Amino acid sequence: MTEDNATPFSDFLDDYFAECDEHLMGVRRLMLALEVSVGRADIDRGVLDELFRHFHSLKGISGMVELRPAEDLAHHLEDYLRVLRRGEAILTAEGVDALFDGAQMLEQVIGARRAGTAPPSIDAVVGRIVHLVAMVASPEERASAKAASTLPGAAPLVPRWRCTFVPSAELVARGIGVDAVRKRLSSAGEILNAVPRVTDDGAIAFEFDLAARLDDRTIASWRDEGITIERAAPPVDSDETRVVTPAVPAVAPPVDGDLSSASVAPSHVVRVDLARLDDLMRNVGDLVISRARLADTLARVEKSIPAGEWRAIQENAVAIDRQLRTLREGIMRVRLVPVGEIFRRMPFVVRDLARETGKRVRLELRGQGTEIDKFLIERMMDPILHLVRNAISHGIETVEERVAAGKRPEGTIVLSAATAGDIVRMEISDDGRGVDAEAVIARAKAAGLQVPQGTPEANHLLSLLCAPGFSTRDESDRASGRGVGMAVVQSAVEELSGSLSLETTPGAGTRFILELPVTLAITDALIATVGSETFAVPQASVREVIEVAVSELLQVERNEMTPYRGAALPIVRLGRLFGLPDTTRDRVHVFVVGAGAAGLGIAVDRIVGQREIVVRAIADSLVRVEGISGATDLGDGHVVLILDPAVLARQLRERPDRLFVAASGAGR
Amino acid sequence: MSDTRTLGIGSYILFTVAGTTYALRSGEVRHMEMIEDITRVPNAPSFVDGVVFSRGQVVPVVNLRARFGFERAAHDLRSRLIVVQSAARLVGLIVDSAREFINIPPDAVQPPHEALAGMSGRYVEGIASIGGRLILVIDLSRILDFAETLSVDLPS
Repeated sequence: MTEDNATPFSDFLDDYFAECDEHLMGVRRLMLALEVSVGRADIDRGVLDELFRHFHSLKGISGMVELRPAEDLAHHLEDYLRVLRRGEAILTAEGVDALFDGAQMLEQVIGARRAGTAPPSIDAVVGRIVHLVAMVASPEERASAKAASTLPGAAPLVPRWRCTFVPSAELVARGIGVDAVRKRLSSAGEILNAVPRVTDDGAIAFEFDLAARLDDRTIASWRDEGITIERAAPPVDSDETRVVTPAVPAVAPPVDGDLSSASVAPSHVVRVDLARLDDLMRNVGDLVISRARLADTLARVEKSIPAGEWRAIQENAVAIDRQLRTLREGIMRVRLVPVGEIFRRMPFVVRDLARETGKRVRLELRGQGTEIDKFLIERMMDPILHLVRNAISHGIETVEERVAAGKRPEGTIVLSAATAGDIVRMEISDDGRGVDAEAVIARAKAAGLQVPQGTPEANHLLSLLCAPGFSTRDESDRASGRGVGMAVVQSAVEELSGSLSLETTPGAGTRFILELPVTLAITDALIATVGSETFAVPQASVREVIEVAVSELLQVERNEMTPYRGAALPIVRLGRLFGLPDTTRDRVHVFVVGAGAAGLGIAVDRIVGQREIVVRAIADSLVRVEGISGATDLGDGHVVLILDPAVLARQLRERPDRLFVAASGAGR
Repeated sequence: MSDTRTLGIGSYILFTVAGTTYALRSGEVRHMEMIEDITRVPNAPSFVDGVVFSRGQVVPVVNLRARFGFERAAHDLRSRLIVVQSAARLVGLIVDSAREFINIPPDAVQPPHEALAGMSGRYVEGIASIGGRLILVIDLSRILDFAETLSVDLPS
């Protein structure tokens, strides 16, 4: 703890770090989304914009706390993103590398400030970014580009079309295949989405959502080539809830005959922004708190209410509780969506990549109807994409190699999903050459990683593959993505409380297994600090937060109390309970938990923020401690313990001596 | 694909704690990490330094110096966190250093001497002598046995 801990500036710094955490977490998430856009002109603008905003905010707030290296670095990152947003440069692998390293350096600089250590040098990273920006355009060009991009109303609405193409032998004979069609469409406008589907009679149809201005002649000529065209619903502002019209099915029918998701008629499907569901969830949380307040008020007037009336009130209260729970669970269920959302992009990836590498690959999809949390879907998309790409570029052999090995010329990749209890298991397996243990070890040694002697087991191979900086191919191999690829896959899986494992047999194939919870325990929490420790407190368990001056705490026998709503509220200092040094603050924040005579205030140094956290279980008996219900990660990989105030309060009521155990300073 | 799991039998990972060399079966070791910041868990057993995230799970960190009854030492560049798996449990062990992987033939492991005193003696299932060097083979399940610990560390 530093000596300026009690100054207003340190309060300000706390806020700064909390805000940085939020932005850095956003940056991490977006970087993963950006990685798939390497080499593409059509980078997701939303991702770039959001990333730009995060860096912009980081620059601003770092300037306010005079953390110059962070301000500088964020400024340069922002610069590069500006260039990308304007489409003046295509995102290269080097560019992504620089962004990744820059973001990581930014975390380190901010982390160093928080730890009070000297910041690392940002010069090398800044140099790379400046170089990237300088390669793009001269200042004049950039200035004029800026002028053009800031013109108001630059994006008038372009009509949307739904084009369907069913390949046939006859069309192919005329030279019209799906590639030709795609080229034709993209020359006329922008392809927004492309989905392969199986028609009722078992044929394959390709559906393209196109934004383009088409004249009647173009439409007629396309129709002549077997492309059906219909006008689709006009684009709706993305903030709005989108009601999906029959022209745009929300879910492509699964290819494997699993009809559970396809049986929903498209016109009955409503697509809802995840943020809106989160809002609903928050509202339910508010309702839970209001319900607790109401119970508290009722308890106080109980005596003045006739017994008969009171029973009726109690019955209603119980009913409200039950309905609240149902409502909460219902909203959680709405968040479940079929994994088909991830899978349906894969046929395109496989086809493109197979053609690029000259390999023959068949993709098999299984269990597309398996439902998992929407939150998981969004975060699993890129890792699975990466594993599929890896399977093609590293796993499946060339046709010649396969034939020489006595295999079918065509390689098979199986992507499957299935639920078992609360766990969803996704597998990406191929019948390729297997992981070459020797090559992995040689590469790991070259990268300076610690390597076991002898033949490593599959789990050791996996840790080598997932080590940062590991890649078994050259940087130029576009398909394999970046050197940090597997590391990113693993960290994405871990962030979702999942696990990744590997099975491989030389010559016969490789299987990656991802196991994830079907839904995440996500909850709103207050983030509190005591000394240098941080804790999360589920908001639903807190009735109120009050601020109390330490000097005004009343000493009543061995208890500390504070006046609260006309009564005396016993206060327990969390730091003393946990053997931490006493606070140096004049004023502390107190969580009020429980009601009436069971009410208790838990004092912490300060509440630094409020956020949604992912609850992870603490399973091992070595660290299962009463009053701590789990752990979470606020985005920096550091474990933050989640308090269970109800258990703490109960414990203290039952064993009040606990209050004083640590007061003598039992911390180590 | 299951044959890959049987590889590595007889192979051990060596680590040192307070000047003594110990061995763990490499099949029990999930991976090794540098020691990064550990979150202290209030009111946990004295030999538990706290928890870390490892591969998405909350993993308790056992300080083997404390577990074996030695003084804790500051971590340095050689210190390692060995994440071990015992049944369904994952636990991190802090050791002074861990570098070598060796093969120990089963017949080179002797049962521990009666005279092997000290706290770490309880956790040793055998002694191997390799190239004039004494190596204590660890019984992982005993290190992680909390019930036994309660009676040792927390006299009531």
